[in-house]
Amino acid sequence: MRHVAQRPAIEHFKPLTEPVLLILMSLAAQPRHGYALIKDIEALSRHRVRLSTGTLYGALRRLLDEGWIERFEQEDTSRDKQAYRLTSEGRRQLELELDRFRELSRAGFARLRLGEA
Amino acid sequence: MGAVFRVLLYLYPQRHRELLGAEMQAVFEEGAREHRLLGPSQYLRFVLLELGGLVLHAAIAQFAHATHRGYLENQVRGTLAPPQNLPDEVIEAQNRVAVSVNQLLFAISHHQFNQARFYKNEERKARENLRQMQEKYGIGDPQPLP
Repeated sequence: MRHVAQRPAIEHFKPLTEPVLLILMSLAAQPRHGYALIKDIEALSRHRVRLSTGTLYGALRRLLDEGWIERFEQEDTSRDKQAYRLTSEGRRQLELELDRFRELSRAGFARLRLGEA
Repeated sequence: MGAVFRVLLYLYPQRHRELLGAEMQAVFEEGAREHRLLGPSQYLRFVLLELGGLVLHAAIAQFAHATHRGYLENQVRGTLAPPQNLPDEVIEAQNRVAVSVNQLLFAISHHQFNQARFYKNEERKARENLRQMQEKYGIGDPQPLP
């Protein structure tokens, strides 16, 4: 029986901006509200990135419009402390972007090894 | 400083303010409380970055809002009532349909059939959302979008 290695189809989407990527990564683990997102992104980026409120909510608005995240309904959550979570489409987009990074870093390390040889 | 932030929120489009304004205010105040404890210089830095970021992103949001409408008018001119007569939610839903159709056509014309399937599905969801918005606002069946 002939075995054919399955490679994931490479789809050409626009690369995500850093705030959007970090928000999606943060929400991949669990739903979070706005301030928890800022703190988690700060930790995730090893204190390199601290999103301002304007940047965070500009990105959240775009992600809501795209249907990549949704507001998470919680009974004990007040209107000014809504939680957000990834949709299945948001998770798919994050996986695509991380695949793209993996391919890119693989190619980059291969070039480095070529240079060393 | 919370009052200044609240006033600056008026720079955003009304729809954005209604949807996210209260949350933004709460997040700013939580950050301000934390930074006040770190000393005056940290607090000042925080406030300047926050207010600067707010003004910048309000300008971006206004631009997006304006081009949203302009884009929509080009997409559906003559097939729907003028956008200014419709609620913002309906305009956004119409715009999403128009954008999906454009993306679908682009993908097909570039033989990107995986993406075309994805955008076809997006278009179906966008049309369903538009139908719900029209029902919500009691808007009659418009002419079909392209």
